[in-house]
Amino acid sequence: MPDSVALRPEIQYANLEQQGDTAQLGMWVFLVNETLFFGALIFIYFMYRMTYPHEFAEAAQDAVLWCGTVNLVLLLTSSLTMVLAINSAAQGERRQMIRWLIATAALGIAFLLVKGYEYHLDFQSKVVPVVNFETKAGEGRARQLFWVFYWVGTGLHAIHLIIGVGLVLYMLLWRIRQGKITAVYYAPLEVVGIYWSFVDVVWLFLYPSIYLVGRS
Amino acid sequence: MTIGPEIDPKRAGALPFVLAWAVMLMLAGVSLWTAFPGVGVWAPVVQYGIAALQTAILFLLFMRLKGPPSLKWVFAVSGFFWLLFLYGLSMTDYTNRQNWPPIYYPNGPSFQNSQRGP
Repeated sequence: MPDSVALRPEIQYANLEQQGDTAQLGMWVFLVNETLFFGALIFIYFMYRMTYPHEFAEAAQDAVLWCGTVNLVLLLTSSLTMVLAINSAAQGERRQMIRWLIATAALGIAFLLVKGYEYHLDFQSKVVPVVNFETKAGEGRARQLFWVFYWVGTGLHAIHLIIGVGLVLYMLLWRIRQGKITAVYYAPLEVVGIYWSFVDVVWLFLYPSIYLVGRS
Repeated sequence: MTIGPEIDPKRAGALPFVLAWAVMLMLAGVSLWTAFPGVGVWAPVVQYGIAALQTAILFLLFMRLKGPPSLKWVFAVSGFFWLLFLYGLSMTDYTNRQNWPPIYYPNGPSFQNSQRGP
């Protein structure tokens, strides 16, 4: 297994630095799309929350606060381990880079496990619109709208995180093993890091929208 | 755009990032606290304000928006610009609706009550 191989830029680039900058810019363009994607979802949430404030406050009380909070801590910590992996790559500390990346993937998987357990609890609480939903006596029907947002929002976020974990594992099991991530060229890892932190940002806004409503 | 040695991946130590992470966790704690009695109607303002602050930290430090290539700023700013555009155009509909947002009744379904007519 090589520690590093002699890398050459693709034919359209003058050097590896230019290739890396282009890769970063490509990811930022993608994130503009993602911002509009999740931004529209959050907008609809606010419109419905303003239309049905009582029902949303009531429905959100069934959200499992500890799961959301633990997941927030896990994701913030994973952003730290990811950036430390990139720093290690840039400084040529291969072993450290691998350790931080394993920690990042583990934190991402831990998030998904907690989320899975939370979905299990949600199913038991009968808050799955269409599939398994119970309207309690005296509660408004608009309560379902909150749970539709919950499942769509957290589901899309989980899909993004699964892709993120897949990318980190791809870096670990393929690019790094082949010696293609070095102190000279670590742009692919940096691009994955940008994506990873963006997924973290999405959770920062889902958290108060889902778990902190109607608690007072 | 120049990049400070404290966050330049070639030279950066762990400390600035660990400190930023600790600040974000502290802010998350404050956000959680505001969900319970004491802050009242300002709670969502504080919570989303904290989310925005945490986002700024992640963007500038962890996603290295601060640093080359400077063109990153064009894309990052355009994302928020188009988002504001989307929100602004959508709000032209909602702000022209009658009875919206409905009056909040703490002890009953909100929308149905507001639709009872004059």
